Amino acid sequence: MTPINSAASAIALQLNDLSRHRAGRPVVQNLSLELHRGQVLGLLGVNGAGKSTTLSMIAGALRPDSGGIRLNGEDFLEYPELARRQIGWLPERAPLWPELTVNEHLDAHGRLRGLKGATLRQAREAILDRLDLQLLTRRLAGVLSQGQRQRLGLACALLHSPCLLVLDEPANALDPLQVAAVRTLIREQAAAGTAVILSTHLLTEVTAVCDRVAILHEGTLRHDGRVADDDDHAALERRFFEIAMMNSQQPPASAA
Amino acid sequence: MSAALTTTWAVTRLEWRRLLVRPLAWVLAALTLAWLAWNFTLMLGNFLAGQIQRAALPDGPGFTDLVAVPLLGQLAQLAFLVVPLLTMSALAGARRNGTMPLGLATGVPAAQIVLGKYLAVLGWLLLWLALILAMPLTLSHATHFDWGKLAAASLGLALMLATLAALGVACSAFASHPAIAAAAALIIALGLWSVNLGAQMAGVNGGAINWLAMSTHEQPLLRGLVSTTDLTWFALVITFALILATRRLAADRERG
Repeated sequence: MTPINSAASAIALQLNDLSRHRAGRPVVQNLSLELHRGQVLGLLGVNGAGKSTTLSMIAGALRPDSGGIRLNGEDFLEYPELARRQIGWLPERAPLWPELTVNEHLDAHGRLRGLKGATLRQAREAILDRLDLQLLTRRLAGVLSQGQRQRLGLACALLHSPCLLVLDEPANALDPLQVAAVRTLIREQAAAGTAVILSTHLLTEVTAVCDRVAILHEGTLRHDGRVADDDDHAALERRFFEIAMMNSQQPPASAA
Repeated sequence: MSAALTTTWAVTRLEWRRLLVRPLAWVLAALTLAWLAWNFTLMLGNFLAGQIQRAALPDGPGFTDLVAVPLLGQLAQLAFLVVPLLTMSALAGARRNGTMPLGLATGVPAAQIVLGKYLAVLGWLLLWLALILAMPLTLSHATHFDWGKLAAASLGLALMLATLAALGVACSAFASHPAIAAAAALIIALGLWSVNLGAQMAGVNGGAINWLAMSTHEQPLLRGLVSTTDLTWFALVITFALILATRRLAADRERG
């Protein structure tokens, strides 16, 4: 595991007592955590644990009912426009416009993020190269394979070089080679100082790419620790199952 | 250009591009232009056939009264169907294909998203109006035009299209499915046009109910009469509809 770069250890993201209800039911409750620049946090949890809701709130698509989000020290809820340049988000199923080409997607995302002219063109070419999409630039998103759609979604999230990258199941529908390439890409982003939150169902994904792991269960944070603190994959798996099988009446485990 | 204008322009460009690459806009344009061109030919034939009788009348109706303005009147009738079909996907489509949260997560304020999408549709509609106006204008060298009346009728049509587009975008903001948005926009537009029908049948020609009806403000413009009361009515309805759409979109961020 790549050690956290101490030079870039400033706090990129701070969640304070974040809560969100849906249909009168708590989906996320009093979630607090910090993420440093250059750190990769794996967010684990069973279906319905509150992972996607948490990521939507961090990405700015959903407003929390209570609590606070600070992005590089600034109040994100007060200034949602911070998301424009500072956050890159890949939702669970990369949402694309089927009638637009790969190039048109990147141009549209770039313009919405404030890129234009030569800067936009350079950023577009760089990300097309990096994600191996050069041969698909004129292809309509509607005819891309699931893996290609996922790579395009990732390209849109990375285009404006965000300082916080929010990825919801980025390895969905990718073949093993592409999964390895995405892992390398995430580590490269972290090495460049980007803070990354990665939501996944796959424990191997977490052990392969994350510095830290947080486990959500029934909307509350039940575990937050360094991946290296869990001796191996089996230890993480054991802890995950303990939490996943935990009765909701039991108090949350103390965060590491 | 300010950041707000740049972002609104980015949304407009994206929406405009999507309109142009989807077959619906082209099919609507082709069918309506063909229908109106055929009607234009018929009206022109009637005009030419009756020219000798009208020559005896000192203040008889001219080309503008008998061909150009009736053609615009037919366009107004078609607009009730065409505009809801064009606007139905503006926001309801984005909600359906999952691109709505992505748009909200770019930090672009809801007002700029709504305005950007509205301007794209309005641009298409004004182009449509210009193409239809080009039919009578091709004969400007061969006949006498009442330029004032034609300008007032064109302004009336442009305002009517702008109002229908704003109502359509508002319906699209509230609907979960584009077809529901189109149906709602059609019914609301027809209702707004003829809300005073009962009052007129009862012989009431003034009052609030007549002021509320779109026909009360559109018909004087088609007759060549421009008044600030009518212009204000259109401005108020457009603003009200766009504010409603903005509030609904902002609520998406709150409600999820």
